[in-house]
Amino acid sequence: MSFDVKYCLIAICTLCFHLETQGQVLSDTMRTKDIPQVTVTSDRTNSPGAVSVSKRADARLMQATGTLQVSDVIKYMSGATVKDYGGVGGLKTVSVRGLGASHTAVAYDGIIITDNQTGQIDLGKFSASQAESVRMVSGPDNDLLQPASLAAQAAVISINTGLPQLEEGKSRNSAQLKYGSFNTLSAQAESTFKAGQNNTVSLQAEWLNTKGNYPYIQDNGASSMEMQGLPANILYNENAARERLWNRNGFVQSTLTTFVSQRLTLRFNAKYGITYTRYLDPKVSNTRGRTDNRYTEQEGYLSGVALYRIADCLSASAGVDGRLSGLDGNGAHQARPTRYTINSTAAIKYASERITVTGRLNHVITKEKTILRQAAESYNHLSPTAGLNWTVWPAAGLHLRASYSNTLRLPTFNDLYFEQIGRRDLRPERASVTSAGIVIENEAAGIRYSIYADAYNSNVKDRIMAVPGKNTAVWMMKNIGLVTTHGLETGLELHSLQGLVRPSVMVSYTYQRSMDKSDSNSSTWNHQLPYTPRHSASAIAWIETPYVNASLNLLYSGDYFCNGYNGPEYLMPSYYEIGCSIWKTFTSNMFEETLKAEFINLTNNRYELVRNYPMPGIQVRFSVLITI
Amino acid sequence: MRKYQTILLPLILITLACDPEPVLLEQNQVIADAGHTGVYVLSEGLFNQNNSTLAWIDFGTGQPDSWNSSTGRSFDCFEKVNGRRIGDTANDMLLYGSRLYIAVSESSTIEILDAATCRSVSQIPLQRGGVASQPRRLTANRGFVYVCCFDGTVTRIDTLTMQADATVTVGRNPDGICCANGKLYVSNSGGLDTQNPDNTVSVIDISTFTETRRITVRENPGSIYADGNNVYVVSRGIFDYGTMDYDSRLHRIDTQTDQVTATFDIPILSMDIVDSKAWFYGYGAGGTIQILDLATGQVTDSDFITDGTRVECPYSITVEPTSHKVYVCDAMDYVTPGSLLCFSPEGRLLYRVPGIGINPNTVVFCDETVSLTRYQGEPEIIGDIDRVFEYMPAPGQFVNLLPKYEPGDDAASMAAKCLNALQSGGMVTLGAFGGYITVGFNATVQNQEGPDFRIDGNAYNGNAEPGVVWVSADTNGNGEPDDAWYEIWGSEQREGRSAPDYTILYIKPTADNGDSPWKGSDGKSGSILFTATLLPDNASFENNQYVFSSFEYGYVDNKPNSLENSAFDIDWAVNPDGTPANLAGIDFIRIQNGVIGCNTTTGELSTEVSAIYSLNQTDK
Repeated sequence: MSFDVKYCLIAICTLCFHLETQGQVLSDTMRTKDIPQVTVTSDRTNSPGAVSVSKRADARLMQATGTLQVSDVIKYMSGATVKDYGGVGGLKTVSVRGLGASHTAVAYDGIIITDNQTGQIDLGKFSASQAESVRMVSGPDNDLLQPASLAAQAAVISINTGLPQLEEGKSRNSAQLKYGSFNTLSAQAESTFKAGQNNTVSLQAEWLNTKGNYPYIQDNGASSMEMQGLPANILYNENAARERLWNRNGFVQSTLTTFVSQRLTLRFNAKYGITYTRYLDPKVSNTRGRTDNRYTEQEGYLSGVALYRIADCLSASAGVDGRLSGLDGNGAHQARPTRYTINSTAAIKYASERITVTGRLNHVITKEKTILRQAAESYNHLSPTAGLNWTVWPAAGLHLRASYSNTLRLPTFNDLYFEQIGRRDLRPERASVTSAGIVIENEAAGIRYSIYADAYNSNVKDRIMAVPGKNTAVWMMKNIGLVTTHGLETGLELHSLQGLVRPSVMVSYTYQRSMDKSDSNSSTWNHQLPYTPRHSASAIAWIETPYVNASLNLLYSGDYFCNGYNGPEYLMPSYYEIGCSIWKTFTSNMFEETLKAEFINLTNNRYELVRNYPMPGIQVRFSVLITI
Repeated sequence: MRKYQTILLPLILITLACDPEPVLLEQNQVIADAGHTGVYVLSEGLFNQNNSTLAWIDFGTGQPDSWNSSTGRSFDCFEKVNGRRIGDTANDMLLYGSRLYIAVSESSTIEILDAATCRSVSQIPLQRGGVASQPRRLTANRGFVYVCCFDGTVTRIDTLTMQADATVTVGRNPDGICCANGKLYVSNSGGLDTQNPDNTVSVIDISTFTETRRITVRENPGSIYADGNNVYVVSRGIFDYGTMDYDSRLHRIDTQTDQVTATFDIPILSMDIVDSKAWFYGYGAGGTIQILDLATGQVTDSDFITDGTRVECPYSITVEPTSHKVYVCDAMDYVTPGSLLCFSPEGRLLYRVPGIGINPNTVVFCDETVSLTRYQGEPEIIGDIDRVFEYMPAPGQFVNLLPKYEPGDDAASMAAKCLNALQSGGMVTLGAFGGYITVGFNATVQNQEGPDFRIDGNAYNGNAEPGVVWVSADTNGNGEPDDAWYEIWGSEQREGRSAPDYTILYIKPTADNGDSPWKGSDGKSGSILFTATLLPDNASFENNQYVFSSFEYGYVDNKPNSLENSAFDIDWAVNPDGTPANLAGIDFIRIQNGVIGCNTTTGELSTEVSAIYSLNQTDK
């Protein structure tokens, strides 16, 4: 086996992984004041008054869970399934309620992030240090000022940078340095200042570099061996991981909210984004000796929403989003499509002291053009959502909530045009979710406690999948199949609000039975959706004291399958991960300084979340954050 | 192999209709076919899932061999026997001699198995400049196995040394190889350049192992088959973005002229040729099996299956040459474990073996009695060889190659190379009769109950090159092998069929690498003189090939390596008069080639040694 070891050493030398540098400029963000709904939910992890299950992780919770990337904290939210390709730099996608990652939108400061090429949003790319909070809403949102394209989503994960309220002429500056196992080093700097009376400008820059060369065991019975490497598919006997993927993106976005009158509020959003992707396999046996695919995706986006308060309890809103998306690339047969999308939405909300009812109708229409190959037909679809929250017993903080949503996701450019697989005649995937639950949130003896339980049924039909065509050597994308999920999300939270020593506990459990209901004659009939454990759970406990803060957290996932056919050869065993951290904040007149030590995967559990992508073992991380 | 677009899009596979829960054959049906003992079925698994498997269906029991793996019942006899899995995307399998050769494309290895036991006797990694060669298809001819690799090469594997010994460059992404008329034909698909595929078939002269010409065919040639003096190759053409499909043709190449002599407009995916008839499946008509008369180019049967049996997704077709039974692998939906279906020559389903493996792609008939034993783990060993005192090979074709002589080497450095080879799974040749090696253990091998030490060689059935073993205990305690030597008596000495102290004289050939003439016991002069126990002549000539039979027990390089075949008991050591030596333990071993034989196919009989170790185990 000497050759394998040699390969492994070469791999270590050459694979200095370079995660992209992210830099975003958020300009002209005009903040006047938050609308009441947001104020209610702030500082709380649950939103008892929301019509849908809504989870929020603030900076404190992210500290407690040792969150480096936004995806890390989502693993602790019930109802979400994170598909993690291992370590820093590995792709991380989130699926909510068995709907699939493409039905879970990601919003950055209220504006949807899109990837028209693959439809896949990598949450591993968003550093937790950029986020003041992360919120996940599984169903219709109470917020009537949501832009049309976000309102039409089955589930939304919102990353909020949360600009501080600054006095005029003041600024806030912070710098953070983290160093951890596998030579992971990250540096982050942020500067926020007031420019003029109404404008707050925030500049952020983050740099992260990791060798990612964590050791793992390649388990092949008698030929198992200890190796090191980066997130990559690990093949038996052949370990020359060499493919590289570069992904650079930049965007500029702006939000303007104006209160025209007591009754009328307007919000405008604008965004320009560009994503540059390059896939390189430098050793391919083709004429050029390499595969080097480059893609540039650009998007322009404009949105307007008007909210009108008809009466004290009754409001209505209407919004239109316009989007222009284009994909260019270096391939000889790339279609190079451009899509024009108009999303419109109209919503109504009745909100009394004890009852909130929302109803919404979304519409999408597209027009598509291509430079090569025939373009897809226009899409023109309606999709409704509705929600109810009833405060049954105000004194006890007991709420009942229910929601229904019928949403869709359009085929991506890859679905329609990718090489020989894409097919232009695809229909959108349709998702419908019916959910009902109970939530109790109250305070007693200086402790805020909440208990919730929500059951749901979801269906995804016309799933877009790759299947063998009539020539079995040529695969093609096709609308096929139905997935039905019955699920339950439940949890308990205790937060101590007073005293010098304040402990908190959060426990959650998720049950998901996602069944393939495509064809009763199929061998996969009623089989569980891949990468969807039936049982999963998480627990976080932390304590805040005047001296030091400490946390302990646990993630558990039951057995699941890595394939739609639930044969024993595809069974992935259950796993758990335990972490802990300890941190302290020093405050003076001039600055605030936080020192933190984190231990991730404390028991050095070796597992693969995605088949053949080993996860790292025990890791240690130290960080310093200074805010002036 | 189906390596579709792997770039950027990890595709999720889905399902079409298929069988319910896997069930075995019904009630031990008699499924005999043309005297074969059974079939091996190779399944490639799913791309990048490391789940290729090998199943054995025994015609005697009418059942696939199964065992309880950590994930439940498994038909993968490779893992059962070897304690590890084959790897990723095993693409092709060939039975040659008594060995199975498996090309594992994504893991980029060739596995060589003993067909009778399924034990891996060698794993050859195929890499060029640190890049996986991706072996795709196999063929064999005159003691060599040839494998075409997707990196544009054909590699030759010497079945004797089990090593890749030469590589020749061909066109782009070869996807098929066959042997006809003393030449290899390799289809250069160029499939990795979707819009600019290759359009040639390389011709390699086997005797010189050089590419002699390239025949131009239609773009993207794939499967290639030999039939007498003709070679047939499927050319898929360029992908048409209008129809979103390929448009395939079949070419006939005359191997006398190496010209394309006919092109048939028949969309074939895969076929098997028997008696100039091709049983094939194409695309367009689901799983329809058809028969093509290659002499006329006419489809004589457009729907071979007569009883309405449905094949969801044919993935390989194999016709038994004498019985004309047709074996079809059904990949179902590429995700569910597929089935093996056996049809009568008239197209009626005889039986079906479901759940045999994911994407079954190769069926190989076996004539050996197959015995599959579960992997027990390598024994924990406390004694290992740490010295080679003397390496004295007799003349032989692999002398100075195994291990390799380099200018400046002397007896001591060659002995050190032998030690390194024996400790690292390499190979040491003893040359012809009389050649020997003397080794020492780092700890006395105690004479315990049962076998005490093990010596591996490179024998397989029909190719035994037995060596005689001597043992010695370090009674004077000086660490040198200067104590009394005792011969291990195997079956031949015990039955009085051997000749002790037979002396042989090798005469230096006039040319380097020439044959060494030799003289027996009478001519006692010259410089290369060996005295050894001569075992009986084990050579015979059967079915146009030499067979070197193994003896019953007690010799090195006599039977395929296994604990049973390669182990020795110190109790077998005898005094010069044949009485038991009753040794308590030994410290030294000498192995000496005990057979004289030479033939035109494999050269002289030379004992090869690949490992020596004690079987004394620590107390649990």
